[in-house]
Amino acid sequence: MNPLFDQFLLESREILEAADAALLRLERDHGDAEAVNEAFRAFHTLKGGTGLFDWPVFTRLLHAGEDVLAAVRDGRATAGGDLVDGLLAVLDQAARWVDHIEAHGALPGDAAAAARGLEAALTGRGGQAGADPQGLPPEFDWVVELTEAERRAAAAHRGALTAVVYDPDPECFFNGDDPLAFVRRVPGLILVRIDPAAPWPDLGSLDPYRCQVRFRLLSTAAESDIAPAFRAAPDQVRFAAVPADRVAGPAPPAALPADDAQTMAARLLRDQGHALALAADEVAPAARIAAAERAAANVLVALGRMDAVPALEAAADAAREGGRPEPLAEHLAALAADLAAPRPAAAAPGPARPARRAVRVEAERIDRLMGLVGELLVTKNRLPFLSRRAGDLALGRDLRAVEAEMEGLVAQLQDAVLRLRMLPLAELFRPLPRLVRDLAARLGKRVELRIDGETTEADKDVLDALGEPLLHLVRNAVDHGIETAERRRAAGKPDTGTVRVAARQDRDRVVIEVTDDGAGIDADAVLRKAVESGRIEPGRAAAMTRDETLMLVLLPGLSTAGAVTEVSGRGVGMDAVRSAVAGAGGRIEVDSALGTGTRVRLVLPLTMVITPLMVVAAGGSFFAVPTAMVGEVAKLPATAIRRVKQAESTVLRGALVPLFRLARLLGLPEAASTAELTVLVLRIDVEPVGLVVDAIHDRLDAVLKPLSGVLAGLRGYSGTTELGDGRLVPVIDPRELL
Amino acid sequence: MAIHYDGTVARLEGDCSVEEALPLAEWLAANPGGGLDLARCTGLHTAVLQVLMAARAPLAAPPEEPFLARWVRPLLGG
Repeated sequence: MNPLFDQFLLESREILEAADAALLRLERDHGDAEAVNEAFRAFHTLKGGTGLFDWPVFTRLLHAGEDVLAAVRDGRATAGGDLVDGLLAVLDQAARWVDHIEAHGALPGDAAAAARGLEAALTGRGGQAGADPQGLPPEFDWVVELTEAERRAAAAHRGALTAVVYDPDPECFFNGDDPLAFVRRVPGLILVRIDPAAPWPDLGSLDPYRCQVRFRLLSTAAESDIAPAFRAAPDQVRFAAVPADRVAGPAPPAALPADDAQTMAARLLRDQGHALALAADEVAPAARIAAAERAAANVLVALGRMDAVPALEAAADAAREGGRPEPLAEHLAALAADLAAPRPAAAAPGPARPARRAVRVEAERIDRLMGLVGELLVTKNRLPFLSRRAGDLALGRDLRAVEAEMEGLVAQLQDAVLRLRMLPLAELFRPLPRLVRDLAARLGKRVELRIDGETTEADKDVLDALGEPLLHLVRNAVDHGIETAERRRAAGKPDTGTVRVAARQDRDRVVIEVTDDGAGIDADAVLRKAVESGRIEPGRAAAMTRDETLMLVLLPGLSTAGAVTEVSGRGVGMDAVRSAVAGAGGRIEVDSALGTGTRVRLVLPLTMVITPLMVVAAGGSFFAVPTAMVGEVAKLPATAIRRVKQAESTVLRGALVPLFRLARLLGLPEAASTAELTVLVLRIDVEPVGLVVDAIHDRLDAVLKPLSGVLAGLRGYSGTTELGDGRLVPVIDPRELL
Repeated sequence: MAIHYDGTVARLEGDCSVEEALPLAEWLAANPGGGLDLARCTGLHTAVLQVLMAARAPLAAPPEEPFLARWVRPLLGG
């Protein structure tokens, strides 16, 4: 695809998001003039983008949205919920179309019908005068799909038009019919479209004696004057009267903000010129020339520079005749320069916008950089050994000075690269307002969403891992947490419930809290259910603290108080949240008070690239365990261990903890039994598990290297890392190992 | 004959009737890249038109007749 197209895809999504946000603001505050303007600008810019690619249905739909917003801006309509609903529906449709266009290069087949419905809904609500109340039958959809140039021709005629759909019988040649000859007899033609009824086959397999074209006509004449032309084939032709303004479409020149549009247009023309120049070596430049000509003509028309179109057409003709795109490319470059030049007549320029200083870089390139930084880190870690080995005291001192300096620089470099991958959480929070709004409306609840800390940053991988879980938590809060207005009133709470999503950085962790002031979780009910379903032994249940009980809602199949009455499977959902968070090296905490609300806290590492590790000794070798999985390190006297056959366990603060010896798990010789055992208490699932090691050797922040080659299939390990002395240490994945 | 086959160019002259469609299709299939000269063409039977549309052969000379120039020319090859 061409760069212009890629640019459109990229920008259109950003514009759609901006429009979405502006509309939601408008819904909250109907008098928010800035929100109206923002939404208007977004619709307008997007419309301009679609206009470059000949998707008239798309352009027209956005234009309808723009009209409604203009009416609001000018005080001719009010921004009620219905109106915002209609506009949001347009944006949703636009987003689907953009996806479809990206995948298939064109609008879906039902686009015109979908647009008709949305437009009708919009104009019905926006109080647009002049809208066509009795829509045309579907076979006349093309009337609203005219290209800019066709529309211009139609608009030149004031008054009613007649649209003609003529689908000749494929066998009509044998009756002596010549459809093209019939069409030529139609008076007052202002549009003749001749399309193949199906894509053309190979010339070799084309049957020239079957009529395979169809005609779409617009005429200024009345049906009664046109019908005689088709008297030989009255059954194959249909007519419809079309009001002139139905085809007139957008009236662009007046609506465009002059300066920005000029700059953008200049850029677009330049791009087209470049694309053409690149195509100079192609065998058949004709298609390129035609595409560039069409796009450029659309730009000129959008700018109201119809006067420049004939020169453009002449340049395109010259290019076609010569079979070389140069004449058109040169013409486009000149046009672009002309547009970009400051207009002497223009008033003082508006406030200069700060240029966007952003570069889009593929994530893989940053990963490669990160890998190199990791290797640099390991290389640097060898310096202390060297400086210790240096016999010369002065040399040793100098080496240590260099080492200290290197240490600082590598740390800064690492930080800088990590920062490249950091994105604000605002990205993550963007879909939430819409989600809460739609869900609350569907459930008939009143919910206010408050978002704090959206400027907090986290690694892109963490963000990616968090998107779904966060949506889930917020959905839960609205669906199961917040009560209906009646129930809230009965409980003495304000009618409107509040869901608060807050993010903050806590040293090297990012903390996200989803809090609601809803019904809360009935901890006793959860515990009862856990016991009934056999997940927890009654004895254990009695010893569980409230916090531990609340964590049970994270188990698959267990639900919260709200979900007990609802059918939706919250138990499954929370389990999915838990595993997604754990997969990102984070943990989840649940706090809730019955009747007052629930708070779910996600604590995640800022980055997944650097992993804090604990290096432990077992069976005479070193292994590393991700620190995130270690809840605590306990020293236990050997007497505290209970044995039932081979299975060992101990009791920690009243809870039974199964024990596993790392050396035995890995099939290594076990150290002689000691009086005291070192146990890493791991939080893999909700219940703790103890991992017995010989000793804790070190803690370090490391870049994990995935296992490769023959080792790649090894289970129980998530990678390797290198110690300061260059020794390679396998990193254990306890989830797999146990 | 309203169509003259002249080396690599087919010249369509006057009104081209339905009988011309098949020979034209065969010539275009046999001469890929062959050009079309419609300068002196005044009318096309629909059958001939659809052969031209399907072939998208290069246009050596566009039609001068107003109806063809306005409505048919854009459907033909570059």
